Amino acid sequence: MTASGPKINLDALNKQVAYSGEGISVKSLEDDIHKERGTQNTKVEELKVLRERNVEVQKALADEVQKLRKFSDYLDGTATKGGFWAGFKEIVSYIPGFRNIAISSRSIEELLKQQYQISARRVKEAAEYVDTLKRSEQDLYKEIDRINGKIIEMAKNEATAVDYVLELKQLVDSIEAEKQAVEANSVAFRDLESKQDKARALLSQHSSNLQLYGAAEDRYASLKDNTRKLLETIRNLGQDIQQYTTAASIKLDMASAQIQAIGTAADASVVMLELKKSLDVMTESMNATTQFVSDTQVFFRRNLDGLIHELETFDETTTKLLDQNLAESRKIEEERIAAAIAKAQQHKATHGGTPAAAG
Amino acid sequence: MSELVALHTQALREPVATQYLRGLAKALAAARINKSFPDRRGLEGTLKALELESHLGLYDSIYVDSRAGLPNMASLTRVLSDRTVGRDALATMEDGATLEARRGEAEVFERLARKRRYFELLGKLELAPVDSHRVLLRRHEPEQSRASFRVELTKVVSSGCYVRVVIELVQAASIWAHKLVEVDAHGEVAAGTDALRGMVYRLANFDAETLFVRMHELEGVHVERVQRGIVGPVLWAIPTDDGLCRVLEPAADALGAAWHGYLTSTRVTAPQFVVAFASDTAAGDVPVEASNDPLVPLLGSQITETERARYGLLRQRHPFRVYKDRKFVVTDAVRPLVEQLCRSAGTKNLVYPLR
Repeated sequence: MTASGPKINLDALNKQVAYSGEGISVKSLEDDIHKERGTQNTKVEELKVLRERNVEVQKALADEVQKLRKFSDYLDGTATKGGFWAGFKEIVSYIPGFRNIAISSRSIEELLKQQYQISARRVKEAAEYVDTLKRSEQDLYKEIDRINGKIIEMAKNEATAVDYVLELKQLVDSIEAEKQAVEANSVAFRDLESKQDKARALLSQHSSNLQLYGAAEDRYASLKDNTRKLLETIRNLGQDIQQYTTAASIKLDMASAQIQAIGTAADASVVMLELKKSLDVMTESMNATTQFVSDTQVFFRRNLDGLIHELETFDETTTKLLDQNLAESRKIEEERIAAAIAKAQQHKATHGGTPAAAG
Repeated sequence: MSELVALHTQALREPVATQYLRGLAKALAAARINKSFPDRRGLEGTLKALELESHLGLYDSIYVDSRAGLPNMASLTRVLSDRTVGRDALATMEDGATLEARRGEAEVFERLARKRRYFELLGKLELAPVDSHRVLLRRHEPEQSRASFRVELTKVVSSGCYVRVVIELVQAASIWAHKLVEVDAHGEVAAGTDALRGMVYRLANFDAETLFVRMHELEGVHVERVQRGIVGPVLWAIPTDDGLCRVLEPAADALGAAWHGYLTSTRVTAPQFVVAFASDTAAGDVPVEASNDPLVPLLGSQITETERARYGLLRQRHPFRVYKDRKFVVTDAVRPLVEQLCRSAGTKNLVYPLR
């Protein structure tokens, strides 16, 4: 044993405290959090692209539905005072490729088939979003798993730090008590003081770890909450799109024979009522798709923007907290240095020499 | 197994869909169709793309025209739009190896892996178009102010059959104010006007004779030949554990009646097919006017006495003869009914075996 005597157990000074992971610092925590945010950012970016594409699809669909509606209305005789033929030239101008072409030039059957194919392709494009979203959903599930692993690791490290900090605090207090029992500035006193400094240094270091692991656990937990929100947003959107596109696709499949039949009939300028019925079916399908695009717009507005804002706020909060921690650490360090300098100056004034090196 | 799900539309599910598609593909190969018919490779590609082995379970059924017995417009469109969408999707999808490696993670990766393989296959296949229209310049004689063209149209007609129409015509430049075809500045490339396109498209449902007369009557247009090649109708029946799955609305013609008689008098234990390939030509160089089609006689033999004189005058004005023919691809069990049909009609038709 040392001059500090048998009453104090100094094992804590030589204890090998093992934290899992690569160690932690304010900088490394900040870096890690930013790295973890990378996945979320990627997914948010994917959603942003999806939103832009959604706007394009909505515009195209709105345009196509308008054409079909006009066509349907004119066939119904409700859209023009001059009757069917008076409005026919205007009607057909809404069909792709028909603008500026004399009415007798193009086959309505052909034009309707073209419209059918455009609509079918549009619905498929929309349906493709579903797999993109499902893939993102799975990536985020994995991300949550990974974050959970980090949270557990941080919690374990925090617990390790708590135990060790308490042990060191007890040692510092014990040494302080022991110092009272020996002569001031004696060799035994200096020896105790030296041990106490070592204990304090370790206490400082592991207190910082305790604070950082605690903060990290909270930050990762917040990150997980946001990831989960993003995941739910993506899952709901995917389910909605799947419902809408399935419905639209079925309607289109069912309408194909009608469209073909009425196209031929329209070419012969007969069975206009059938033509209208069939167009109504096709319009329904387009409507379903338009509805989904429109709803997803609202969905995006409500969720994506909110999420991005939350994530940005989260970043700000994290950065602020980390900055604050960093500033506090610096302040403590500065105070410690200031105290040491003050002590050194006092020692010089009292003894008139260079202060002895500690330890 | 097979139900009427919409107007003239029946849905085929597995295992019937695969048997049906394979039977039809074999029939196409056996028919030895020439260029007057819709392109065989495109049709074969579409049939292959519709197979379960190609889409790998991404779809649960295919849609077939319940009269013509052929894949309908929805089915043709499905593979075409999948190919278009697939091209873009492949650019953003993870590569095949990555998706395969992630198959166990979640259903979506397993599905994406299948989808990727399906899209890759579609990229390699030639697919049948719903419509295809082109105009080819055969001969350009600027000094005569004349040009010869070939107009080709392939489409699914209103009966659900798949048809190719080829028209060879000569147009004189003097009346190009009403031109049907435009030649580019170099006199090398021709393009049909919308008027021509619309006219041919609308008339494709009618026979070659009607097309010939209608086109030939246009001022300044001299039609040399009109040819139609028609794939279908297909009469098919496939036995399943749940009963017989069959084409639900076959035509009520002689073949339809014979087919109905066969199905009601015979216990079908193996897939049966009767696939018809009709050709119809109206041209000046047809040697003898005749119909060797047991289902469609010549127009001249069907018109009433009162109309006969007018029809005679019309034919005198237009120098062409008509020849109609039809060949069949059949499974062995139904061969007798097709042979009987031909005997009754007094026609001698090629009947290829489907095995």
